[in-house]
Amino acid sequence: MNMLARKLIERDFYLNRWLIGGSTLAGIAGLIIAAEGAMRFNIGMLLWLTAIVAFSAMLVMFSVSTERKERALQFVLSLPLSSGDYVRIKVLGLLLCFLVPWSLLTAGAIGLVLVMPNLPDGLLPFAVLLCGFMLANFSVVLSGALHNAADGFTTFLMIVHNTSITLFIFLVGAMPSLHEHLRSPVPVWNSTFWTVLAIELATLVVTLSLPYFVAARRRDFI
Amino acid sequence: MTQTKLIEMRNVRKAFRFFTLEDLSLDLEPGQIMGFVGPNGAGKSTTIHLMTGLLTPDAGEIRVLGHAMPEAQALAKRDIGFVSDQMRLFGHATFGWHMKFVSSIYPGWDAQYAKTLVKRFNLRPEQNVRSLSSGEHVKAVLLLALARRPRLLILDEPTSGLDPVARHELLTEFMDVLRHEDRSILFSSHNTVDVERISDRITFIDRGRMVDSSDKEDFLERWRRVQLQLPAGATLPDLPHIVSRVDDGQFVTITTNRYSEDLLAFLGNGVRQVQRMSLEEIFVANVMYHRELRGQ
Repeated sequence: MNMLARKLIERDFYLNRWLIGGSTLAGIAGLIIAAEGAMRFNIGMLLWLTAIVAFSAMLVMFSVSTERKERALQFVLSLPLSSGDYVRIKVLGLLLCFLVPWSLLTAGAIGLVLVMPNLPDGLLPFAVLLCGFMLANFSVVLSGALHNAADGFTTFLMIVHNTSITLFIFLVGAMPSLHEHLRSPVPVWNSTFWTVLAIELATLVVTLSLPYFVAARRRDFI
Repeated sequence: MTQTKLIEMRNVRKAFRFFTLEDLSLDLEPGQIMGFVGPNGAGKSTTIHLMTGLLTPDAGEIRVLGHAMPEAQALAKRDIGFVSDQMRLFGHATFGWHMKFVSSIYPGWDAQYAKTLVKRFNLRPEQNVRSLSSGEHVKAVLLLALARRPRLLILDEPTSGLDPVARHELLTEFMDVLRHEDRSILFSSHNTVDVERISDRITFIDRGRMVDSSDKEDFLERWRRVQLQLPAGATLPDLPHIVSRVDDGQFVTITTNRYSEDLLAFLGNGVRQVQRMSLEEIFVANVMYHRELRGQ
């Protein structure tokens, strides 16, 4: 990584520091509430989920769409880099920004399932898939915003982003081969789990690679 | 193409759905300050975006500081200071953070000079960028460009969003800064008064085509408005280099872009008045003449 890329990634961290910190704290608060017992588990996990979903949406919105809309993009592009460099650095920078709270909160959620005596470990595969889905979902939104920063498209992306989490919980959570093991005392890592995880990883790889081949090669960048 | 020119554009074409920049050729020599003048929508920003690699031409060749654009834009931009009225700094960071950020990227950043400019521009590094006025914001962006000590400054309508007082203040400070500098500048504006103050060469652009390009003094010397009174029944013959002619009975007002003593001698005793023209008058007459020639 060259010096300019490092500086621009540091800039993304600096400009999003409150968002990163606030989301991480909100997610941790959710995990603490969830750990207080079965009654508060749902409220806590809802807060945890909302923290990650809202963070991924806001991170992309502030760092890609707003940067373009508020014309800070012109300032960035006046620096010694090409538009292709900008796209590549942006993908890497925002992915790293997202990974900080995501990895902490994913580890926290997995730890919670393992540590809480009244939570069956059978929830573990679904928790992993849910966290994987949120990472893949973030990469879809990031890739989409880098391809098209129009207001309407960004709004559409955010709607898809928010709805897809609910759909994932209902549809994947209801898959018989996953659902039937949710309350099992030990995690069951069956073929459905690996298939869904593979789809999530493939989505992640494809959507994060796409800007390198399309947006980074755009002839006209503004 | 020669390597001494800082900007070289040859037969550049860029087409959009409702606008085409056509056959644009433009050179900027070392040490030159070029005013790039055109009405709104003439193609000034498109030309500048092509120069800075943000757009790719459909045809033609662009070299900036000897680098082919947009392919080598990252290299070229090491020595370009680009300021645009469209450009905004990061609203959530202070101006001081921006200075630190830019200085960490450019090895040639002159901290002492930046300090001097902060004082001269009356900026406060601890101030959040979002709370800067339009004038302060332009000064801040300009400072970030100047303190890099770039070989080439490209200014895209930097004063367009400012009130007359802020504009005057900024240009005065800008000229003061430039007086002690030896760098090439392309200054785009639709405001001829601004351009006239700082430029030594002027290029006019209109509706995607270059209309004229010459030294400022050359423009001011070549262009004249001549008022004539013709004897009853006499007509003025067709003359070369007349860009407009207004008849009012015996009185005729002609505008020429090749004024000379020979023309004056040819017109003889009928000449009532010879007026020098301001750059704005030259610009308008030039644009209207070329529109007429092109049948637009």
